[in-house]
Amino acid sequence: MNAGRQTTRRLAPRTGPSSICRSCRDTISRTYASAAAAAVRTEDQIAQHIPPVAQVSPSTSYAVNTGVVLSRPPQITRDLHPFEAAFFLYQRRLNERLALPFTRYFYFKKRTPADVEWKRKMRQRLTPARDIGRYKGYGEEAWNDELLVGADESNFEHQVGKLLEDAEQSGLEGAADTTGATKVDHEPVDKPMPRVTEADRQHDTKSLNRALQRTLYLLVKNKDGQWQFPQDRLKEENLHGAAKRIITHTGGVNMNTWLVGRVPIGHHQLDYPEPRPSGNLQEHGAKTFFMKARIMAGQVNLKENQLDLQDFKWLAKEELKNEVEGSYWRSVKNMLAER
Amino acid sequence: MALRELPHRTVTVLCRDARPGLRAAQPLFRRNASSEAVQEVESTSSFEVPPPSSELVKEYDPVARSRLRRRGNKQLPPSRYQYRSPKYYFGPLHPHQPPPVADPASRLFQPGPFSLTRLEQTYQNKIASDLLTLSYQHYPPGYRAAKTEQRLRQWTGDSPYYKNRPLRPPRGKGEVLRLLQEPRTFRNIPKITNVTLHSMVPEAQENSGNLHVAGMILQAISNVRAVPHRAKHNVVGWGLRKGRYVSLTSTMEREDAQDFLAKLIDVVLPKIKEWPAVPGSSGDGHGNMSFGLTPDQVALFPEIEINYDSYPPKMIPGCHITIQTDATSNKDARLLLQAIGLPFYGKLND
Repeated sequence: MNAGRQTTRRLAPRTGPSSICRSCRDTISRTYASAAAAAVRTEDQIAQHIPPVAQVSPSTSYAVNTGVVLSRPPQITRDLHPFEAAFFLYQRRLNERLALPFTRYFYFKKRTPADVEWKRKMRQRLTPARDIGRYKGYGEEAWNDELLVGADESNFEHQVGKLLEDAEQSGLEGAADTTGATKVDHEPVDKPMPRVTEADRQHDTKSLNRALQRTLYLLVKNKDGQWQFPQDRLKEENLHGAAKRIITHTGGVNMNTWLVGRVPIGHHQLDYPEPRPSGNLQEHGAKTFFMKARIMAGQVNLKENQLDLQDFKWLAKEELKNEVEGSYWRSVKNMLAER
Repeated sequence: MALRELPHRTVTVLCRDARPGLRAAQPLFRRNASSEAVQEVESTSSFEVPPPSSELVKEYDPVARSRLRRRGNKQLPPSRYQYRSPKYYFGPLHPHQPPPVADPASRLFQPGPFSLTRLEQTYQNKIASDLLTLSYQHYPPGYRAAKTEQRLRQWTGDSPYYKNRPLRPPRGKGEVLRLLQEPRTFRNIPKITNVTLHSMVPEAQENSGNLHVAGMILQAISNVRAVPHRAKHNVVGWGLRKGRYVSLTSTMEREDAQDFLAKLIDVVLPKIKEWPAVPGSSGDGHGNMSFGLTPDQVALFPEIEINYDSYPPKMIPGCHITIQTDATSNKDARLLLQAIGLPFYGKLND
């Protein structure tokens, strides 16, 4: 017996078909393999000896909340594990040794100025890829082409520096001077942006310009002082309509967000110690369904929030674990990306 | 019941430390198929061995060592230290066997991968989970997918040769079995498998130079050797003659494909003036999407731009780009390509 049918069996006697949502009930009764329906029926037959109790109104209920998991995806590639870095460097050097040489005679006719220019540049730069070290395939010591432990070439900063140096050189450095000028002007090349930002150093958890390699999630502090994803009670609306409303009610309109799909990606159930009356029902707890959203631009502004929020933070998965409650973390952790 | 179980559990918890000893004793009286292999596996990782001391590292000079060894002109015979893989395979019984393909000494060895591409990381961290959320279909508990009946036709008749014959394909000419639409799970999120570049150069029938230039351009932008193809039939309308080389393809996989797509989406397509987008009518219903680039647009690839003068300008070919994905429908494939940054226009082919 598969897990699905077991779940049905467990569900069927306790709740009865009336408490399954309408679309589910329609699908079950309409198209399903008769197995599930049969299972439900047998359970009903078993339960027939229990005298029916006249039920005036459903006594138990749960409050239904919508939560929004608003996230900023990683902005840059991750740092490589030392083993990965060493492996890639090894493969690149190996490629340098095994690749067919450049087909010079396709691109440059012999003894043309372009050919002479190519030869001069090649003599100057010695190797195609200067960041991973020069390869000398000929001569007495051609065998000595392995990197030693702690060589410069295996250092990431060194490789970046070499690439920048390469980009700056125009190739005119060794050219015969016709003008008489000895110094060659180097065009400045833009340095790559640092991978660690100012907000990282100050651990500014309100900034979105932080932990660029990780997914950041918006966490807010509600009026009870608990850190959790922004959430609100579901009114007369859809889950995704409520999610859009919660985003604006939380962070204002100064955010460019995208709601990913119209289905929840996870849920959290909170059971109250004492049932709370709500209208003519007794609420035994609250169920929160989380919708997934991405932030593209903008920033949260809590000044005019309508959910009584006190504070917000943008946190990566591990940091989030330390802020939220244990049971909340357990129901939330599997829907958050590892990176 | 729980009380009765408690002592047993306590014992298990307390005896956890004693277990390895019992396990070590097991192989003596129990033999499994893997027993020998287990003994072969080293118990410690090589990463646990500390690296050589810094002094040793600093003093190690392979060139000086080699010179020292060769001081008395005692040259080692080179043939003994230069291994060459056999050029031809002489069968499994031949004493000289080629090394495995993963060995750099093998003639078939191809180095790589060289990097963890940005597109791949984006797919893993962002696109895949978004696609799963976007294409999620809720099935209530107890749902069982309807069984797909046999889609191939039976051989009906009393001929004895019909027994054990492979089933018949669908009726009709050009009729194919469409792919099954499996419910979406985390195991079958669509991903890009291959990217194929195809360039049709009918002028190559008169002047082979066109074919050479097209081949160099495809190779330059795809990093994969281009494979030429001959015309299969005479087609008067297109000026094709049977048996002449008319087109080239290069098929990229893995890192090459990712690099090519990143280059295309981030560098080339934004540079094209008034590029409408990928036509929405594209797609073969099996997860493959195609679109074309004109010769002017092909010339925008950075590999061509950097030495544009080296190519005869009239010989630069246009090309078709086919992105092959795991998706089983046009809709899913389009969703994936839109997620990596390819827009579509016009009427969608669903």
